[in-house]
Amino acid sequence: MTALTLTRRRAQIGGKDAGLGLLLALPIIILMGSLVFWPLILTFWDSLHRVDPMRFGTPFVGLRNYLNLFSDSDVRAATINTLTYVVVAVVVETLGGIAAALLLNAMGPARKWMLAAVILPWALPPVVNSIIWLWIYNPSYGVLNGVLHMLGLISHNHVWFNDRWTALFLIALVHIWRMLPITAVIVLAGLQSVPQELYEAARMDGAGAFSRFGWITLPLVAPSLAIAMTQSTVLAFNLFDEAWILNGSSGDTRTLLIQVYMSAFQDLHFSYGMALSVLVMFASLAVSLIYVLRIPGETVSE
Amino acid sequence: MKLRATLLAFSVLCSFAVPAAHAAGDQPYAGQTITVLLPPWGTLPKAMTDAFKAKTGITVDMQTQGWDQIHAKILTAMIANNPPADVSEVDWSWVGQFGAAGWFEPLQGKVPAPVVQDIASDKIFTIDGKLIAMPYNNDFRVLIVNKAMFDKAGITQMPTTMDELWADAVALKKSGVTYPIALPLSANEGTSTAWYLLTKAFGGDLFDASMKPEFTTPDSAGYKALDWIVKAAKAGLIDPASTGLTDVQVQAFLSGGQAAIDLAGWAGNLTVYNDPSKSKVAGHVVAALMPSATGHSRSFGLPEALGIPANAKHKGAALAFIDWWMQPAVQIEAYKALGDLPTSTAALSDLSKEGKLPSGDVLLKQIPTVEPLFAQGTPEWYPQFSAGVSSAINQAAKGQLTVAQAIAQIAAQAKKAQSQ
Amino acid sequence: MTQKPLQRWAIRVGTLILLAWSLLPILWALRSSLTRPVDLTAAKFSVLPPVFTLQHYANLLGAVSAFRGTVTQSVWPQFSRALLNSMVTSGAATIVTVFAAALGGYAFARLRFPGRDTIFGLVVATLAIPAYTVMIPLYRMMVSVHWVDTYLGVTLVYVSAFLPLALWLMRSVYRGLPISLEEAAWIDGAGRLHTLLRIVMPMAAPGLIAAAILTFLTAWGQFLIPLVFSPTLATKPLTVLIPEFVSKNYIDYGLMNAAGVLAIIPPLLLVVFLNRYLISGLTAGSGK
Repeated sequence: MTALTLTRRRAQIGGKDAGLGLLLALPIIILMGSLVFWPLILTFWDSLHRVDPMRFGTPFVGLRNYLNLFSDSDVRAATINTLTYVVVAVVVETLGGIAAALLLNAMGPARKWMLAAVILPWALPPVVNSIIWLWIYNPSYGVLNGVLHMLGLISHNHVWFNDRWTALFLIALVHIWRMLPITAVIVLAGLQSVPQELYEAARMDGAGAFSRFGWITLPLVAPSLAIAMTQSTVLAFNLFDEAWILNGSSGDTRTLLIQVYMSAFQDLHFSYGMALSVLVMFASLAVSLIYVLRIPGETVSE
Repeated sequence: MKLRATLLAFSVLCSFAVPAAHAAGDQPYAGQTITVLLPPWGTLPKAMTDAFKAKTGITVDMQTQGWDQIHAKILTAMIANNPPADVSEVDWSWVGQFGAAGWFEPLQGKVPAPVVQDIASDKIFTIDGKLIAMPYNNDFRVLIVNKAMFDKAGITQMPTTMDELWADAVALKKSGVTYPIALPLSANEGTSTAWYLLTKAFGGDLFDASMKPEFTTPDSAGYKALDWIVKAAKAGLIDPASTGLTDVQVQAFLSGGQAAIDLAGWAGNLTVYNDPSKSKVAGHVVAALMPSATGHSRSFGLPEALGIPANAKHKGAALAFIDWWMQPAVQIEAYKALGDLPTSTAALSDLSKEGKLPSGDVLLKQIPTVEPLFAQGTPEWYPQFSAGVSSAINQAAKGQLTVAQAIAQIAAQAKKAQSQ
Repeated sequence: MTQKPLQRWAIRVGTLILLAWSLLPILWALRSSLTRPVDLTAAKFSVLPPVFTLQHYANLLGAVSAFRGTVTQSVWPQFSRALLNSMVTSGAATIVTVFAAALGGYAFARLRFPGRDTIFGLVVATLAIPAYTVMIPLYRMMVSVHWVDTYLGVTLVYVSAFLPLALWLMRSVYRGLPISLEEAAWIDGAGRLHTLLRIVMPMAAPGLIAAAILTFLTAWGQFLIPLVFSPTLATKPLTVLIPEFVSKNYIDYGLMNAAGVLAIIPPLLLVVFLNRYLISGLTAGSGK
């Protein structure tokens, strides 16, 4: 086959590309447009007004909701908490997820049971997950204190949630436990797509395990990694259940989304809460863009 | 053949028409279906809803929603201008908000006057002269103790003042009960309501008639109450783990035999404490009147009620359902099936006479002293205020704030909530 | 593939750690589900329940329930219905999402059409939108077309939430495949769609399976969306039913844990079943 034939063939197909492409993409565009973008625009519009069911009327207030958010001390505290969760969760989930995916990739027939075990934390209903960890952390009859006591590491029952940073870390741990399988599954899919011939060739050239990982695996898995890290970031920004069930509305561990819930649904300052949720969206987008733009191949079009 | 079929069909139709015409008089809403949205302890068993249907012809579609979700559920529906149900749950703490938003149908004048008379705590659901819901679950605070532990510590009389309560707790601790008082200290609503109760026990109130805080000076009841709580925690009378536990979790201390006093106990707890399948101390738990500084016991109620959303589709039938539930016989049945303490005074005295109400005599004595937390009606900023309260108490109990600082923080939260 | 002893040892240790990490809390849930309510609040910590009981499972699966010591209506009808709802909504969402992502992902990966990259970027960016942000307007829309509390309505909402991730994953997988195989097919005269279905998809199988697992499990664990869009037992899933086992004065931990243990079985079975398709498509097709 000559290059000329290839080009001519490509040109023949090229025109039909657009048609087929749009056809396949159209249902997606319609669905996302109507169920996500349109409501988003409506919410944003609401956030520019004062929507408070307890008060009459919904006057236009421009950016006042947003400006008030920046001077709200509760929001500031929640931001610090949320950013802490994001950093801890993304780092641990990424490293742990890669390790788990590598392990799963290297396994033979036992993998299907291993994979099943790995996804169990994710399959557990969120409320059951939270009460399990409530029990584990319970100072009086929890497993954590129980085991540490048996090992002789502590003398009396420690109240874990009394210290803010311990509390933040323990809550992050619950979130990580639940979400790590997601990173593992995404990275595993990426690993599966790496051609085995490349490894064989590298091995024959004498490359060790770490070199193979660094030079073959990592670059080829990078796009999957970007996806996994973005998902981790967004989920951590949206952390709610774990913090709420384990420590209530305490300012120590309150996340931005808990603050959204409290403002909009408990205090009925609806548009205030919605403005905050819009800001959370932009924040998680911004952080995600950091890795997406750094991973080559994601934004480069063919 | 066709003629016979037609005649048969016609006669069948007639046989429906006759009873329908007969029933139209006393069953004006027959054939309608109403949706009722309540938490699990309000979900009536099928036998009861069938009885209602037999009486009125109305079919009841009971929808259950977990307690933590039901408020969000109602809110979402009302904001989207969609009725969550024909009859829905209305908690005492939502009255200010829902009243201000005009989301519930006013019931004054629609519920027969004798019924309103019989039902205690209907005042809590009246705002701006509008009765927006009728209470069905009569939870109020009362002191709950483990009598066996009291006997062992040599305490013969129930404490009537907060100082006596302190002395009793110290004595209990000496007699081997490590942490005698069960009180939640986490950043949850149960912690706030405990403080409100103790404020009343110290003889004061939270806010004056114009909603200005009354708890800010060190000699005020609220200040003294918070001081008492923090001191009790520091003195080891309350389990340190309580800073991470909600009210329902803290009750496990009493039912597990570790604590002796449930200081923020609801009247409804008694059945659980005395249930041998759930409690290790069944049979030893009794209620006592809330201690008070003034000598007159005071308590407050956290009742739940049935309301009709303003945009509900079957308001007439919904009202019939509420009227039915307010009858003493129905309330007694609901108590037996679900444990909801009746709001009808008649029902309560019947139950007590039958001996079916644990510590019934104490409860009946406490009920007249049950006040609404806010005499003027629950304000719309209550939830925001209450969240700030529990956060401050939690921090004070952990030693992160002094009592004075915590009080100042609560006052600031009140101001912030009121101004928004 | 020969592995050095060090590697094998590392794999064994890693496997143990991963198993312990994943399973220990679940084993604790299992333990709690077999414990009597009275012992659940015991002061002493013990690894095994002092007295084993199957009462919680009996309540969930049986004909009657014991609530507050009295026999009342069984939990089984609600539990079984919620289980069915979870399976139907998660399954439907998965099938539709994977189908759309399989085809759409290819379009965004290989086909050129106007606005392609912008549209893709916008769709993927919706990953960052918190559920609360769109919930109320979406609810209003669904109410107006009477799709609240229908399988159709809930499935559509799920698809709109999970499609971006699946789409991104599939596009990434398609891009990772060497284009030479597709070009060979085109030169042989095959149409785009035919190439996609016969040649590309088998090689992209790991991606499809991963997308299916991701979508199913995420849908299975959803709480907020069904709370709003599935208010009644007609479509209420397990995640919304289980918190209802909290009564006013008492949290039935044993029952909740038992329900949780049962709830993990369908996803577990699904993953075990799908795993056989998770092999590398490239190794499968490279035996030419």
